[in-house]
Amino acid sequence: MSADSLALVARKADRPRRRLRDGLGFGTLMLALALPLVPVAVWSISATWFFPDVVPTRFSTRSWEYVLSPDAKVIPAFLTSLTIALAVSVIAGLIGLSAGRALGLHSFRGKRIVYFLVLAPEIVPPLTVAMGNQVAFIKLGLADTILGVILVQLVPTIPYVTLVMSAVYSNYDLNYEDQARVLGASPLRAFFHVTLPAVFPGLVVAALFAFLIAWSEYIMTLLIGGGVVKTLPLLLFSFATSDLSIASALCLLCILPAIVILVLSSRYLSGGRANIGGFGRL
Amino acid sequence: MDALSSLGGNRPRLSPRARTWLLLSPALAVIVVLFLGGVFFGIIQSLNYLPLIGQYDLNLDAYAQMLADPAFGPSLILSVWIAFAATFLSAVLAIAASLFLRQTSVGRRLGTYLFQLNLAIPHIVGAVAMLLLLSQSGLISRLTHAVGLTPDTSSFPAIVNDRWGVAIIAEYVWKEVPFIGVVVLAALAGGTRDYEDLARTLGAGWRQRFRHVILPFIAPGVLSTSIIVFAFSFAAYEVPFLLGQPYPATLSVLAYLSYTNVDLNARSEAQAINVVIALIVIVLTVVYLRLSNRYVRTER
Amino acid sequence: MSVQVNLAELSKVYPKTETPSVDRVSLSIEAGSLFALLGPSGCGKTTTLKMIAGLLDPTAGEITFDGRSVVRIPPERRNAAMVFQKPLLFPHMTIGENVAFGLRMKHVERGVIRERVGKMLDLVRLPGVENRRPGELSGGQEQRVSLARALVTSPAVLLLDEPLSQLDANLRIEMRDLIRQIQAELGVTTIFVTHDQEEAVMLADRIALMLDGRLMQVDTPASFYERPSSIAVARFFGARNFIPGRVSGSRFQSSVAEFEVAHPAPPDGTILTIRQEAIALGPGPNAFTATVRRSMYLGTMLRVWVDTGGVEVEFTAAPGDQFPEGSEVTLRFPPEHVWVVPAAEPDA
Repeated sequence: MSADSLALVARKADRPRRRLRDGLGFGTLMLALALPLVPVAVWSISATWFFPDVVPTRFSTRSWEYVLSPDAKVIPAFLTSLTIALAVSVIAGLIGLSAGRALGLHSFRGKRIVYFLVLAPEIVPPLTVAMGNQVAFIKLGLADTILGVILVQLVPTIPYVTLVMSAVYSNYDLNYEDQARVLGASPLRAFFHVTLPAVFPGLVVAALFAFLIAWSEYIMTLLIGGGVVKTLPLLLFSFATSDLSIASALCLLCILPAIVILVLSSRYLSGGRANIGGFGRL
Repeated sequence: MDALSSLGGNRPRLSPRARTWLLLSPALAVIVVLFLGGVFFGIIQSLNYLPLIGQYDLNLDAYAQMLADPAFGPSLILSVWIAFAATFLSAVLAIAASLFLRQTSVGRRLGTYLFQLNLAIPHIVGAVAMLLLLSQSGLISRLTHAVGLTPDTSSFPAIVNDRWGVAIIAEYVWKEVPFIGVVVLAALAGGTRDYEDLARTLGAGWRQRFRHVILPFIAPGVLSTSIIVFAFSFAAYEVPFLLGQPYPATLSVLAYLSYTNVDLNARSEAQAINVVIALIVIVLTVVYLRLSNRYVRTER
Repeated sequence: MSVQVNLAELSKVYPKTETPSVDRVSLSIEAGSLFALLGPSGCGKTTTLKMIAGLLDPTAGEITFDGRSVVRIPPERRNAAMVFQKPLLFPHMTIGENVAFGLRMKHVERGVIRERVGKMLDLVRLPGVENRRPGELSGGQEQRVSLARALVTSPAVLLLDEPLSQLDANLRIEMRDLIRQIQAELGVTTIFVTHDQEEAVMLADRIALMLDGRLMQVDTPASFYERPSSIAVARFFGARNFIPGRVSGSRFQSSVAEFEVAHPAPPDGTILTIRQEAIALGPGPNAFTATVRRSMYLGTMLRVWVDTGGVEVEFTAAPGDQFPEGSEVTLRFPPEHVWVVPAAEPDA
């Protein structure tokens, strides 16, 4: 009997203690995730906030007024970022959809090589690629242009969409398309009416995260865009070393579309394997 | 004609192989031209082939230059240190957080949601946030001052722009724990519960269950995300530039500074550093793939 | 080594639900016996099994092994090994390593492990597969490995959660034989859960039938066919003839006939039941006439439905017999096969 007493686990008595531990754990986790953003938010509305004040001595909306004013460079930079990110996500989405189908459903000679080719841009740093391409882009007149920036940002995004779609397709039962064909649908219609809706959630997730990758990209835009193509990250970077209040406001502005996108796509994100292989770079 | 001809028309069908390559061609075009092209140009520029300034050599001078550069060694060590520390810490914390969150369905959902929210935040924003949080006049310092721990800014440890890249590592950890965490949560959601129950009825305690049931299940996800985290934190530019010292800088910052040097000759050294960065990352990826093939058998 | 298992007023209520999943179940399972928890899905049998294993905490009640309470002991220390519906072989280990798992957890010496694993694999008729991997075996073989893995730890109780439900019909028969044989040989107290009453009857020494979380009847297999305690039990075991009426002395009055009842009828009994196979043809005690409605040929037998006194009765006949629709036929209910049960289930 004594051995059992030693082995006793007082489970029912543990319940309130366990709930406290759970609560503390949650609290810590949420604090850790949210804390770094707190000074950013506060800085964006502070006028004077020197050490050792925990709270600003004077608040002001100066930074936000600057950010939103039509004269400043912020709104154009925002729009430039938006344009580039949208273009990249659409193009990478389409190209990745097509390549993902081949990789996910077909078996062919050279598949391993193709797989490595698709994987490589996810591993090799964007710095290397951009630096290597810069001279060529200059020669081709693509440097300092939005088109050039879009093109170079396809390098990290296309492989990502391809890999995600490849996983989605390999879970897809091709019999559905065959079924549509014997009911009279042409290959194209079978794809549009049957396959596309089935792989659409994965495509949405992949494209949205391609958007985020392009939206956050800095070094590629700097090297290829030459400082002429001004995106939000570039602007943020320059203010980060001069005016922290404006930089903070820009940070929040930078986060905004991303949060919106995530909220919208959370429906597609839940369930199944998390196909988020490229986010280390976000 | 028979009924079959009404299906799909009478156009000549593409062979399956042709169809495959057709589907792959846009992606391959971009990858071959822009990616391989960029890498190729980087390599030959590192070999001193710079037509822009009329140099048509092919030699290893730039590499020699790079190795002789007193900044190279410390930069390499710093980059490796930051990458390993960030990756290790992120993986461990992500596993711990995920194991904690998965116990309740509320935790799972909330945790996944918060993790995903964090994923949407660009690293640049994270860098600014860490700057405002961790610098000697940052929010944490002010809080410790308010409770009387640090009488002034210099008594708060210098972890931004410091030798060890603490703030840099902190930013990476803050961003990558959710990244690895989402994958771990997904792997755990896939039903380790039954295996754990089974192991319990066979006498396995908590540590044994973790080692024999949970770890093998999450290992593939952790390994694949860790390699991505390592590759990123080794070669990133924005975060070390904002949060690090100019000397020693990480390899990527060193490369960029060399590249934008007024002296165009420094370009080839910059490309040499680039090549080194890419090589290190590729070698480690190959090592990971070998390791995972040997160790991981559960993947479909 | 094997223990007697006792459940006393065991209950499990999930928060936010009104009805208990397991409602005051009390059972006594003899050491070394093969016991079945039978019932339709959702009746609480798996929940009960998991409470015995320690994977779920009871809301109320007691579980004892040989008289010692185990409710506060975590599963890894209860020595109650469990086999699940799916084999759940650890994918990253070989078959041998899988079977050895429980022994490794107890830090048994490696040579001893090897020997015991080999013997156990022989016992489940899978000799020599130690070095194979889970993906290489068939479902039935994997389930046998799972069984070996549980047994090699010499558990005090062996728990089986619908172990055969994922196997096809032929494999199921093989596995049933194997389980019965091994259980007899090792003499370990075995409790298994199933929804298939044929399986329970074939394997178990005693059966506990559960419906909606409540224990309906605990008895030998034969008793469920011959002496169901309520309509629900009878129905679960495939009885389909239920004739309403009332008890009057030693007879049962109904619109069909006044029946002589051989077994003592409960005073609140208002339903007469008799199995389809027990109904005989021709005159005799408890005979009555009926009109044939339809018949169905089933290869090995003929199923016939008749109308009488406003009630439908079903009986089985030899496959060659003819029962044309609309014809009159005389049936009788042999008094020893007739049972009177209450209309509602008995309250606990």
